[in-house]
Amino acid sequence: MKHAMQSRMGFLVLAICAAALVGGCVKKPPEAPAAPPSAPPQQTAQQPPARPDTTPPVPPAPRLSSSDFEPALFDFDSYTLRQDARQALDHDAKLLRDNPDAQVVIEGHCDERGTAEYNQALGEKRAQAARDYLAAAGISASRFEVVSYGKERPFDPGHDESAWQKNRRAHVVLK
Amino acid sequence: MRAPALACLLLLLGAAAPGFAQQRDVRIDISSGQGRRIRVHCESLAAAGDKNAHETSVQADEVLAGDLETSAVFTVTRSWASGEQPFDVQAVVGGKWTANGNQIKLSGEVRDFPARRPILVKDYRGAARDWRSIVHQFADDIVLQFTGEPGVAQTRIAFVTQSGREKELCVMDVDGAGLTQLTRDRSIALSPAWSPDGSLVLFTSYRGGHGPQIFVNAAAGGRAYLVSGRPGLNTSASYSPDGRQVVCTLSQDGNPEIYLLDARGGSPRRLTDNRAIDTSPCWSPTGQEIAFTSDRSGNPQVYVMDREGGNVRRLTYEVDYTDSPAWSPKGDRIALVSRTGSGFDIYVCRADGTGARPVVTGKSNENPRWSPDGRHLVFASNRDGDYALYVTDLDDRPPRKLSTGGRTALSPAWSPRPASTRSAFNLNPGQ
Repeated sequence: MKHAMQSRMGFLVLAICAAALVGGCVKKPPEAPAAPPSAPPQQTAQQPPARPDTTPPVPPAPRLSSSDFEPALFDFDSYTLRQDARQALDHDAKLLRDNPDAQVVIEGHCDERGTAEYNQALGEKRAQAARDYLAAAGISASRFEVVSYGKERPFDPGHDESAWQKNRRAHVVLK
Repeated sequence: MRAPALACLLLLLGAAAPGFAQQRDVRIDISSGQGRRIRVHCESLAAAGDKNAHETSVQADEVLAGDLETSAVFTVTRSWASGEQPFDVQAVVGGKWTANGNQIKLSGEVRDFPARRPILVKDYRGAARDWRSIVHQFADDIVLQFTGEPGVAQTRIAFVTQSGREKELCVMDVDGAGLTQLTRDRSIALSPAWSPDGSLVLFTSYRGGHGPQIFVNAAAGGRAYLVSGRPGLNTSASYSPDGRQVVCTLSQDGNPEIYLLDARGGSPRRLTDNRAIDTSPCWSPTGQEIAFTSDRSGNPQVYVMDREGGNVRRLTYEVDYTDSPAWSPKGDRIALVSRTGSGFDIYVCRADGTGARPVVTGKSNENPRWSPDGRHLVFASNRDGDYALYVTDLDDRPPRKLSTGGRTALSPAWSPRPASTRSAFNLNPGQ
């Protein structure tokens, strides 16, 4: 337990270093303040400055974590992708494109209302909707597995709409 | 609305027990809750042998009275309860135990009152440790004698218990005795369903780190065997009434659809073909039709189709947002749940979808399943707090909570009556 905790802490430190490094590359505002707003934002990301050869050892490339993915949230009894869900999945598609070796499970979840059996099917439909969107965004279907947990694994144990909204989701988990 | 249902039930009961219905004028109205229960008086069973036998006998008295009371056929008074004398009762139930080594015999007697002429006199033998089963046999025979159909005291309930995020499969006697946990997977077990001979329990489990898969476990214990582990959903499984097929929900073709499998899980045949959700299939007792839940019209509704998947029609328009259908053992009624603002009420309608009426309301009442005599429904509810199992006798009395050893309990399934012959199923031939 302690060992696991330490290694997790170690990973966390690494991840933070890596994130700081990458964040510095990606999110740093363009140095030319006159950059037109219409310029594709990727430009800056695509031309990162050379890796700063500062203090060794060089941190390893950032490792993708399941928490990097954003959940697609759904309305009650619905498996239609809302605008915010599409944005979340756009983010996830980019992560998957940037990490072509990542194999993932798309989990489907529901709030506590409704029977276990119906929610299992509903969760499956939500996960499938997310999978289909990611596939349409060019991510190979061979990288996905779909698992519905129905209402069995809520993220928020609460019994109000705020909790239910968090629990009506499809989200990507690394295998 | 109630009168035709009552007439129909009286006809049914009359057909089942014509002689009795004529002689005794017993009417058991199970549709409106206004029916009379037969008043019987239980006298202590005379014990034989040592102190242990006496203690068993005292427990047996209460087990027998409980069986009769929960049958929904009788109102019971007890000779061992202070001040309870046989008064205005139709019959007196009693008997005596005799012991011979590890074997015991119950000589059961039911006599009319006040003449005390014998109505039922029968001996029951067995191992001393099986005394509960012997008492249940006597109770079921008493119900048979008065109604033309045996009671359900010998049946069992399969269900899942919840502890934190884990759900395990359990079985127990219908009176709460003999609770046995069948799985210890620390995973999620769901949706148990009995084989027609009562020897096996199908269920869904996430064990092994896969998605939901269908397994079967002997009700007596032992390991679980995989029935369907196809890609995607494998869930909501139940045996056909002849035990030769399994109906279930799979998503192997990309969408939750209803399939028929053979009893071992092979030869999948798809029954529904719809972009919507189709799930929770349940057989009619003849095996000719299947009720199921679909959201093809926008929200969940119960539909009925024939066993080939044709002739699909919505069951009822009298209630909305319906799910979890359960076909009554005589085929005349279907129980289902209907969503209220915050939970579910349990409704019963005729098999043609008419005459829907609420039978359990308040909080969330889920997964109704019929007793094999069609007199009761077991269901899961949070009406008193944590989810627990309850039985309604389909009358105005409040549902009766089943003891599950203090555990949170869900997803009940009522076993058939015990098979007179041994199982035709063999889980593991030649291995």
